Formats: sequence, structure tokens, C-alpha cells
Amino acid sequence: MSDRMPCEQVREIAPEIALGVADGQERDGALRHLAGCAECRSVVAEYSAVADELLLLAPSHEPPPGFEARTLALLGEPKRAVRARSWWRPLSVAAAIVIAGLLAAGAVLHATAGDRRVADAYRAVLAEGNGSFFDVATIRGSSGDIGSVFGYQGSPSWVYATLRAPMPSERRFEVELVTSDGRTLSLGPAVMGGDVTGWGAVLPVDLASVSELHFLDANGKPVLTASFGETSPWEL
Amino acid sequence: MWTLSDEALLAGLGSGDPDASAAFVRRYQARVYGLTLSVLRDPTAAEDAAQETFVRAWRHADAFDPRRGNVVAWLLTIARNVSINMLPGRRPDPVDPEVLVTMFAESRSDGDDGQATPVSEALREALRELPEDQRRALVLSVFYGFSAREVSELDEVPLGTVKTRVRSALTKLRAQLGGVR
Repeated sequence: MSDRMPCEQVREIAPEIALGVADGQERDGALRHLAGCAECRSVVAEYSAVADELLLLAPSHEPPPGFEARTLALLGEPKRAVRARSWWRPLSVAAAIVIAGLLAAGAVLHATAGDRRVADAYRAVLAEGNGSFFDVATIRGSSGDIGSVFGYQGSPSWVYATLRAPMPSERRFEVELVTSDGRTLSLGPAVMGGDVTGWGAVLPVDLASVSELHFLDANGKPVLTASFGETSPWEL
Repeated sequence: MWTLSDEALLAGLGSGDPDASAAFVRRYQARVYGLTLSVLRDPTAAEDAAQETFVRAWRHADAFDPRRGNVVAWLLTIARNVSINMLPGRRPDPVDPEVLVTMFAESRSDGDDGQATPVSEALREALRELPEDQRRALVLSVFYGFSAREVSELDEVPLGTVKTRVRSALTKLRAQLGGVR
């Protein structure tokens, strides 16, 4: 689906966009269109307002006793945000710059540059892809932290996963994106392991609204997870 | 007593304020659980979904944008999406949408002050008046997360027909709401 989807076609699927049930390819094309078309955004917003009101029709129902305490106990767990800076944090940012340079600008930057050079390079890479920030999330599996997912907010926005600890053989995953409002979107298949230590995909939503990536095995079970929001994104 | 606005409570929740968090959960737990129970129809799963909804609200409170809707709509959208993701087998056998519509008709959708709002009353009436095929397609999409293609396959009707039904239903409801607001 190209980003030249006409208004007429976008309006046809506007209800599904508003209800969050549009199929992937149509959704991608429509979202690209909506980014630059205020009139179509207005149509989708009107449908969304109706959908919001419909959800309010569900009858209220008091939850079982103890719900409030159990829920507050969950909220009391350490928030997955603002982890203390550690030695690898600057390296992660520098690595993101390198990856962004390779993918977005076709340039190779050196991670050993001083702060000023890094900042300049960072701005240059962001400018190349109309970007606004990078973020990074740790990939966790049953054996612990095995890599990172770097995210780029720009045109397009994308994620790129790299493995620190190589997997002995190639494995195929289905990658699922969970948004901050709970939607689940498919990012398609990913093959990693063996000689393949990285995988990337264009995001169908803003990076800011990505909560988690799940790498599912053949049975649909999430075997690797990366949660965004653990660190503050680098934003300029 | 807490008299803070929804937005202020959400901000307090996001910052980890224990009093604001308790007040936020207390204010919305019946609405959130009511929606997750309506969709999932299983008390245990509904409680899990409701808890996950509050955890997501806490985690992403700073992503709330008041220009795009109010707090309760934002929260219920999260609850709806979490519930849909928890539907067994991703809904091979959805509940009859008419059951939900009947449930809506029999219950009053109360505002925060316990009174039914004019908007919800008008919407409930408009939903009842929709042709059954339009109402079914709409409810399957809104409350069960069915795409038009999935409704088309489930009901064995052309995809274009389903799209038209959903669009017509939403357009009618939007017109009805426009007359109330």
C-alpha cells in the first residue's frame, strides 16, 4: 500500500481505523495519509468519538472484594521507568546512532566520538529521516537479557533488534507489537540466530505509543520480550 | 474527600501518588470491570483484564492527551483492547452481539454522579433502532475487535457489505449524538 492512498479510499476504511480493527496493510496506508490530511483526520476523530461513547454503554459492575487492594499492590511494584544510568547506557545510544546512520543515512559513525561529536552526529541522523527521538528496550528471554531493540521516531519510524548473545541456530519468530493503549499489531516474521544477529521493521504507529514487542515462537508463545519505557528516550 | 478532576487523578496515578492511585482505581473500577466482564463474560479473566487496564494506565499516564478525549474514554479504550487480546483463541466463537445490546438496554449507563447521561441514553436508543445487521457488525467491531474481513468471513457476507454496514451504523449514531450534544 503506497502512501498515496486517496481521501476516498481512506474515508471508506475510516470507521475501521477509528475502531482500531483495520487490517495491517490498509491501516499502514491510511495512517500515512492521515498524517498529512486534516480533513480525513477529522472524519476519523468523529467516528472515534462515537466508538468512545459506545464503550460507555457497558454496564458498570463492582469487581470482586479485594480488587482495589490487589490492583494497588500491582501499581506499587517498581515502575518500569527511569532505570539508573549504567555503563552500557551511553554505548546503547551510540549504537543506536550507528544503526540509524547505517539504515537512514548510509553513513558510519564512530561510537568512540566525544560528547559533542556524538550530539552533532545524532542531530544529523535525526535530520536525515525527519526524526525526533531514539529509544531503546532490552530484549529479555528465559536466559536473561540477550539484546536490545532500538527504536527511531521519524519518517518512517522503525525498530531494529540486535542480539548481544548469539543464538546457536536460526529461529523464526512472529513479532507482535503492543501499543500503550493495549492494541496488538503484527510486525510480521523475524529470523534471528546463527549468523543473523539483527532484524528490523517499519512501525505502523508512532514509536511513542509502542509499549512492548513480543517475539512469538511457532506455538504463539512469547519467548522474547522488549519493553519500552524503561529509559527516557533521547529526544532533541 | 477527593474532589480532584479525572485528569488530576490520572496525573497523580502516573506519578505514583498512593492516595491519587487509590482514588483513581476506586473511581473507575466498576466501569472498567463492567466493560471487561461484558466482553469476556468470565469473572476471573475480567478481573485480570481490569487489573491490566489500570497497570497500563499507570504506566502510560503521561501519554494521555486531553485533546483526544476524556480520561474515562481513554481508560475504557485500554480496557476494551486488553479484553479483546484476552478473548480465548482470539474469538472463534464470539458471544451473540445481541446479548450485549440487550445487556446495555437493561442497564443504565450512569454518569459519575450516578445519573444516566443524555448522550448515553440517546446512543442506547439509537443503537436499538439500527437494523440488526448493522448493529451486529458494529458491536462485533467495537466490543470484540473484529475487522470487517473477519465479520465478513464469520457471517459469510461480502466484505463490501460489512464495511457499508459498519459505516452506516456509525454515521447514524454520530448524527444522533450530534443532536444531543
